[in-house]
Amino acid sequence: MRTEKQVLMTIENLSKSYQMGEVSVKALEHADFELFDGEFVVILGPSGSGKSTLLNILGGMDIPTGGRVLVRGEEITQYDDRKLTAYRRDKVGFVFQFYNLMANLTARENVELATELCKEALNVDEIMEAVGLGERKDHFPSQLSGGEQQRVAIARAVAKNPLLLLCDEPTGALDYQTGIMILSLLHKINRTLRKTVVIITHNMAIGDMADRVIKMRSGRIVEIKENQSPIPPERIEW
Amino acid sequence: MRKLDMRLMRMIKYSKGQFISVAVIVAVALCIYMLLNVTAMNLTHAVNYYYELTNFNDIHVQVVRISQGATNELKNLDGIKEVQGRVSVDVPLEVADKNEKVKIRLISLPQEEKINILYRLGKRQMKLAHDNVILLEQFAAARNIKPGDVIYPKINGRVFELTVSGIAASAEYVYVMENEQTLLPTPEKFGVAFVSEEFAQSVFGYRGSFNELLITVDDKNKIDDIVDRLEKKLDQYGLKRIIERKDQLSHTVLTQELDGLELMAETVPVLFLTVAAIIIFIMLSRIVQNDRTGIGVLKALGYSNFNILFHYTKYALSMGMVGAVIGIGSGLLFSGPMCQFYALYFSIPVIKVDIYYSYMLKAVILTGFFCITAGIFGARPVLKIMPADSMRPEAPKSGKRILLERVGFLWRRFSFSWKMVVRNVMRTKGRLAFLVFGLSLAYGINTVPLYLADVFPLMFTMQYDEYQKMDYHVEFTQPMHKRVVKDISHLIEVDKIEPKMEYPFELQNGWRKKTVRIIGIPRDTSFYKFEDINNRQVELPPKGIFLTEAIAKVLKTNRGDKITVNNFIPGKEDIEIEVKGIVKQYLGSNAYMDLDTMGELLVDQEMITGVSLATKDNTGMDVKEQLQDIKNIASINSVTDMKNSFLEFMDMMMVSVGVLLIFGGILSFAIIYNATVISISERSMEFASLRVMGFDKKDVYRLVGKENALITGLSILLGIPFGIGMMSGLAGAYTTEMYTIPLILSPKVFVYAALATIVFVLVAQLAARKKIYHLNFIDALKSRIS
Repeated sequence: MRTEKQVLMTIENLSKSYQMGEVSVKALEHADFELFDGEFVVILGPSGSGKSTLLNILGGMDIPTGGRVLVRGEEITQYDDRKLTAYRRDKVGFVFQFYNLMANLTARENVELATELCKEALNVDEIMEAVGLGERKDHFPSQLSGGEQQRVAIARAVAKNPLLLLCDEPTGALDYQTGIMILSLLHKINRTLRKTVVIITHNMAIGDMADRVIKMRSGRIVEIKENQSPIPPERIEW
Repeated sequence: MRKLDMRLMRMIKYSKGQFISVAVIVAVALCIYMLLNVTAMNLTHAVNYYYELTNFNDIHVQVVRISQGATNELKNLDGIKEVQGRVSVDVPLEVADKNEKVKIRLISLPQEEKINILYRLGKRQMKLAHDNVILLEQFAAARNIKPGDVIYPKINGRVFELTVSGIAASAEYVYVMENEQTLLPTPEKFGVAFVSEEFAQSVFGYRGSFNELLITVDDKNKIDDIVDRLEKKLDQYGLKRIIERKDQLSHTVLTQELDGLELMAETVPVLFLTVAAIIIFIMLSRIVQNDRTGIGVLKALGYSNFNILFHYTKYALSMGMVGAVIGIGSGLLFSGPMCQFYALYFSIPVIKVDIYYSYMLKAVILTGFFCITAGIFGARPVLKIMPADSMRPEAPKSGKRILLERVGFLWRRFSFSWKMVVRNVMRTKGRLAFLVFGLSLAYGINTVPLYLADVFPLMFTMQYDEYQKMDYHVEFTQPMHKRVVKDISHLIEVDKIEPKMEYPFELQNGWRKKTVRIIGIPRDTSFYKFEDINNRQVELPPKGIFLTEAIAKVLKTNRGDKITVNNFIPGKEDIEIEVKGIVKQYLGSNAYMDLDTMGELLVDQEMITGVSLATKDNTGMDVKEQLQDIKNIASINSVTDMKNSFLEFMDMMMVSVGVLLIFGGILSFAIIYNATVISISERSMEFASLRVMGFDKKDVYRLVGKENALITGLSILLGIPFGIGMMSGLAGAYTTEMYTIPLILSPKVFVYAALATIVFVLVAQLAARKKIYHLNFIDALKSRIS
């Protein structure tokens, strides 16, 4: 089965250290793995384990201090600012823990903010329907609940029709019920649109729905586990 | 509309107070820019057209007497286009109030006017004969004289009845002043009437001859050469003065006003736009900092640095353009009335108000330049924001101790809240620097009108209470023997009386020339007091000459230099004389010599042209009444009258002082309002934490107030040198031969400017109060929506 899969991303010996104020932090050390087309991957680890850093580098939002990342054979870690921007625009969709919607744009406009940029964007109204916000698309973020805001954020990421969806603790700020709903939505997108989805979380339970789980601790990958029988998100409990 | 632009529109709506305050500054800047430039341009065109239409003279010559024949011969002189002779004599005018001294200049008009053609107003225009005159518009208006009325000039002791047959304007009298010594026009006291040549020649005894020549030339660049040749040629006719157009009184006043307008048009808008740019810069750098996460999201979505930079720069540009539209519109709107006002102030009957589109374009480009530059610099941190970094909470600012804390004894005296304020202000030094710079500019602008209001009366008091202490100036119609002083002192009750001699001469230093009235006074004068530029009192020397600052500046001479006095009086030679001192004189500019020396070297011994006197009687009635029947008295000017007309002038000044203060106020308001609002929104989290800890709204507001107080204090201190710079610039620019504006720095000016600034700051802070009072601190703490 594995040999059938197309390699989407190759991560080689990736490292990153930060300067936080007056402290230097080694956030990521020697990460090596591959991502495949259409895969649902969960990166698990406690806070400070380097998973956000990894995700940001994969999404072209951050630059590593060592190692390289190849996307379909092209080394994005060699990209200049312009190419990285184009990469983020066309290939990646982000979903953040705190949704990060533009406060003074409506739900629909937040999605359009993203689609205006790309050539192969999906139909915004269809996506709004798909995330269940057909009725509330003209509301401003402050008029939406957390779950609804996160659905807007997902719609915003998906509408660009990217190669992969990178989600940073997408359920971190939500209650259990809403969290499950968001996970189902991401799962649906993965299965129906065949988008590669990468979720990072510290919530072990979410790992159960993934095709593969990458465990991290203190900036290092400690284990990569293939999940032979992922369970549907609705059956996850925490 | 692009969604990013939509976000921009909503951003503007949310911050409309700030947006408006910046737009207003830009609007004021461009309003001034358009108003002054369009006015100056229209005025220049009108004047040029008027001069052309009436064929205004290039050269004006005053001689003792020149025959018609000799006048005609001058036309053959190379470079001269046209010559027109005339008779011009100042005579007293009898008016209803016997105590009122009114003077009228009778000027002859030839049958066929070729130069200085009168611009006749109204319908009723009769041919000039022996019994009628055409009256100059300003005088007619000031005394309410209509065509058909009769005026009564007194010529050689005989009163003539002359009917006013028409009213006219003259290019020569766009601004009516009797002579260079008149500081302010008094249109009801001095007028001009045009009479027939025959009449003038017969009553003044100039049969077949003239005492003035009007000349036009072919090439205005060769005027110096022509003047030189005229000087030689006309010597035999008793040449008194050759006045080139550039030195012509009315033209000079007009040119100075135009230069002043242009100078203002160049400097004031730039100053305002600079302040607007500073505010935009601070605003955008704070907005970008607040939007850090949002910018990160935009970048994550694939927006490029350029897209985002342009997004914020558009915000700056939109403020500028809204201001530009309002400013240009209102500038154009006001330029019509302003041109009309000037056309009345200077009597220019042919003004046409045109709109100059090039200035609109320039104004827009200027605004664009300032706003885009400020926008790009303010939003520049956008480039440095890494999308990933922006998602993380910002690393705490490196909380260094500030320099002041090392000064232990001082720092310990500060209360806790003051310590917070000082540290906070010092944390962003670059921004503090810009804020303080902007506010100190505003403070500097405030000092200027206050300085003017302070220094103008001072100039007047210094001039008449210190330097020239007489009560009256009496001028004779012709030079008289010294003994007339005794006669006058017998006639009226005077405390003191001194003879004086006043004559115009051309002073020359190298190629620099200037026609100046030299005043000869007794060396033991008790009316005149001389101070050199270092404020030391100096005595008039027996030999040599004193020059006032303005003249020394024009001639570029210093104490000890030798200059030439070119003498036009027949039979008198040009002399070389040493400059014995440069003295102060705020109103007018003259040269001074010892009366006897002046008589001996330049005029005639024992002769005087007038007297100065002081009397206890300050109603003035007696002096004027007692002297009115004396023959040969041309004018009696009382210093009190001059003071009164000066006070009227001051009233007008106060209006512009007020306008300038309002401008300074707008700037101070906009700076502080924006700084406060931005500071509040930027630190909502910090303020919310303070509220949670138990600070109430007032405490937080007070904290912001203290920050503003600190910034204002610093700005006022730093604004003092700015103010001094602007004042000295203004004093330099507006110092002419008529006024010398001294740079007297009175502490009062700085204190009042500081008070004004503080008031504007307080108003701005009050306006921003709502923002703190409406701050929902629970929301602020939770807020993670960008």
